[in-house]
Amino acid sequence: MSSIKEKFNQISPSEFFYSNRDLAGFSNPTRSLYTAVREFVENALDACDQKGILPDVYLTIKAVDPDKPDPKPYILTVKDNGPGIDAEHIPLAFGTVLYGSKFGLKQARGMFGLGATMAILYGQITTNKPVTVKSSSDAKIQNQFEILLDIQKNKPVIVKHTTKEVSKTGLTVSICLEGDYSKAGNKIRDYVYETSLITPYASITFDDPKDQKFSHPRFVKEIPPPPTIIRPHPHGIDVERIRRMIVESQFEIPTIDDAMIEKIRKDLGLSVKNFSFTSIMDKAKKKWKTLPRQVRVVISLMSFLKMDFEKLNKIRIEDIDMPNKKLSYWDFGDSQSKSVDMDPESEYYKQLTNTVQGEPLTTFLTKRFQRIGPTTAVKFAEFAKFKPEKRMGTLTNQELVNLSDALQKFEDFMAPDSSCLAPLGAEPLEKGIKKFFNPDFVAVVQRPASAYSGFPFIIEMGIAYGGDIKSGGPHVYRYANRIPLLYDEGSDVVLKVVNDTDWGRYKIKGEPPFIIVSHICSTRIPYKTAGKENVADRQEIERELRLALQFLSRKLSSFMSKRGQAEMAKKRANLYAKYIPMIAEFCTELSGKKKEPNYKKMLETEIASENKKAKEEENQIENN
Amino acid sequence: MKTTKKEQENKIKSRSKKADDKQKLILEILKTHGAKIYDDLENGKFPKFSIPSRSVSNIVYDKQLRQYILGNNSALRSSRNSAQLRSFTQLMWLAFFANRLTTERKSSTLRDIYYSSQAFAVEFEDQSESDNIIVDLEAVTSRPREDFHIFPEERSSIFGDLNIEYTIPGYEGKTMNLANHPDGYSIGPSLTTAELVSTSAEIVIAIEKGGLFTRFVEEQVDKKFKSIIINTGGQAPRSTRTLLKRLHDEMKLPVICLTDGDVYGEHIAMVIKSGSANAAHLRDLTVPDAKWVGVWATDIEKYKLPTIPMTESDIKRCYDLQKDPRYQDGIWKKELDVFLKLKRKAELEAFSKYGLTNITDKYLPQKLELAKSL
Repeated sequence: MSSIKEKFNQISPSEFFYSNRDLAGFSNPTRSLYTAVREFVENALDACDQKGILPDVYLTIKAVDPDKPDPKPYILTVKDNGPGIDAEHIPLAFGTVLYGSKFGLKQARGMFGLGATMAILYGQITTNKPVTVKSSSDAKIQNQFEILLDIQKNKPVIVKHTTKEVSKTGLTVSICLEGDYSKAGNKIRDYVYETSLITPYASITFDDPKDQKFSHPRFVKEIPPPPTIIRPHPHGIDVERIRRMIVESQFEIPTIDDAMIEKIRKDLGLSVKNFSFTSIMDKAKKKWKTLPRQVRVVISLMSFLKMDFEKLNKIRIEDIDMPNKKLSYWDFGDSQSKSVDMDPESEYYKQLTNTVQGEPLTTFLTKRFQRIGPTTAVKFAEFAKFKPEKRMGTLTNQELVNLSDALQKFEDFMAPDSSCLAPLGAEPLEKGIKKFFNPDFVAVVQRPASAYSGFPFIIEMGIAYGGDIKSGGPHVYRYANRIPLLYDEGSDVVLKVVNDTDWGRYKIKGEPPFIIVSHICSTRIPYKTAGKENVADRQEIERELRLALQFLSRKLSSFMSKRGQAEMAKKRANLYAKYIPMIAEFCTELSGKKKEPNYKKMLETEIASENKKAKEEENQIENN
Repeated sequence: MKTTKKEQENKIKSRSKKADDKQKLILEILKTHGAKIYDDLENGKFPKFSIPSRSVSNIVYDKQLRQYILGNNSALRSSRNSAQLRSFTQLMWLAFFANRLTTERKSSTLRDIYYSSQAFAVEFEDQSESDNIIVDLEAVTSRPREDFHIFPEERSSIFGDLNIEYTIPGYEGKTMNLANHPDGYSIGPSLTTAELVSTSAEIVIAIEKGGLFTRFVEEQVDKKFKSIIINTGGQAPRSTRTLLKRLHDEMKLPVICLTDGDVYGEHIAMVIKSGSANAAHLRDLTVPDAKWVGVWATDIEKYKLPTIPMTESDIKRCYDLQKDPRYQDGIWKKELDVFLKLKRKAELEAFSKYGLTNITDKYLPQKLELAKSL
């Protein structure tokens, strides 16, 4: 975490923002207003999701001066009923670039909370107004901040801080920014509408600059199960990530001072009187499993030094030479350097080895990655031409690169764990489609989890026909991690798959009234741009999309043919009722007869039988 | 005229009897079909009938008849089949309407039929759909639409010394000499059904274009060459072809055709002679002895006629006709080949280059002479 921050601190965030604002979706007042809405709404939804709260999100956009022509300053406010943010974190969270809480590996709408800061920064640059944040995390006190960003220092400047009493948790963020609602309005309304389709458990209200209210109440009462944070899959890893993981797994040799000794004594539960060397070691052995790592390291060192706390206080560890099994220290009492041998058979020796040289490769793999067992780890070591017991701390740069390459190439790893994904679920998706489109036919499917480049993903898709759906379909609603994708549909993989489909084969012709809802869930959506609008055509994703669409198209096709048959039977009945009497009339005069032929009974029987056929087909459709 | 009044009356009687007989026959045909449908319905069955197939595969050339005829394939039309029910009803209505027209001796046109249908809540998408149903009626009854008093909109015209006697209601017995009006007489329902009484002409000249027709009247071609002149107005309508056939069969007059010097002109003459594939379900529309005398492709060089180049579609038409069995020999084949070789064509008006009367003074006499040897 901290290392990411350091990387970006090299340049000023305003520079970074300016050079990247196109990518982040802040290229012009229209797009910026839309992107800002998205960032805040998505943050609100993510916050609620994480705590299992049914979200109530209120979006308000009001012009500062309604009579001015667009583009002009707008005040954008997003209020949620989420967990809120502790007062102490608020200035940093809203007043610095790249401060966030979403760094774990699991599915979320946004990754680092970067977008929201971008929006705040954009607002400040275009209107020079602070962001207003109201937050309550305890449902008692609400902290209200007005914050400006110090762009040069990447630090928050608190303009105002007040508190008041409240009864609910939640966060309200309000910014003033240059926008163009006359142009962005359609997209924003679409965004809110489509978001509520994929977030049926949320209640979203939008109060627009023209005082129009768009209300999307929740119609599903349960939140889908939240994703779990999981360890990475070896296919989705790079050298930098491995380096960081090694650093995390290694411990510095702790400084042994009074504070440390006090901590050890507490952890071991030793009384003041009882601290001879042997009693310390005995106690440690018994409590080993519960001891924190730092304490274990010190105990291990003590086992070789054979010292009690008093003696330990008078030395400083100089070197732990694992290959030569020598432990050297400076003795303040004698003012000289001394060393002891370490027994490599000792349990304590292993403990120290881990600390100093890192874990062995196989342990590193099984402990730090998902779904790698000891057997696979050994097999991999052989594949990558490393000794299984190779210590991670001793890897050279070249070896790190080799390891990273091998992790990508090794094919015997299990597929990525998908428990970190949070698909919406077939049932809520179907409910949503039914509510939004009132269709004659709907089918949904959730594909089993799959993976590309070590990132798990799940495709959910729905198809609906008829009802309130406009003709000229298929209309495609694209979602990724519960975000609607509205821009740049042309180059999107979902559109590609849809356009490749020969609908005639599925008995869908002309300008059919039908829609497709596609939802891609992944720990990393392969967006083509940082603007998060179109998904790149990864082979694995394309394949899953195709399978999902084929499955649904076949269902639609069978509906269409049943419906076709029912319609035909109805049509036949109508045709008979219309034309046979005419034929009777004409042939009566033609044949010179006075009375019409007695055809009524035949006609009634036939019409009844056709109507019965139609009913049967319709019933079948409903039962399906 | 030496005939007594009595004889005259008898003649009129016999002629109107002839017309009455024809009317009866047509009504009988319609009634037979109608009764079959009626009986089916009365017996609780969906009515059906069979109709000769008019698909390309069922149109064959009959060498003996010297025209295209329909083969033995026929299709069943059933009112139970929902895809056919609409056209079934349309045809029933048309038969019903034709029955009224024939009974009341009233005439109608293709367009009139299309509009009349609306009064009976019978729907036709457009006129081509109703035209098609009319052809169905022709095919089922093997009778041309004119027999049911249905005529095309376009009119061609006739001029020359020909005495006719009307048979249509209100004009029965009235006679007319067709040389009395220099604009010519339009060949409509009354002329088509009229009796041909007498003529001094020795030949019928069918000419493709109205302009030349007028010129021929002005130049008194009818008198100079003892001829009846007929303007076909492009492709000759059915009623005109029927009239040509009657002039040939009843008045024993040879028929010659004079058309533009291009592939379409050649085919206008061919249709007069042997009919079209479109009318393969009908007889008595052809004059197998009719002769095409020009303008031939070979005339273009012979008379040094001004020409224009053939278009793509002209050339394609040539290749199409080369596959037609009627173009496999004689001048039909020869001229077609020359057209293809020249890739140029000439209008009848091309003779104007050598003077407005050049065509009647020079070209026509030569062609009439030539026709005797054809």
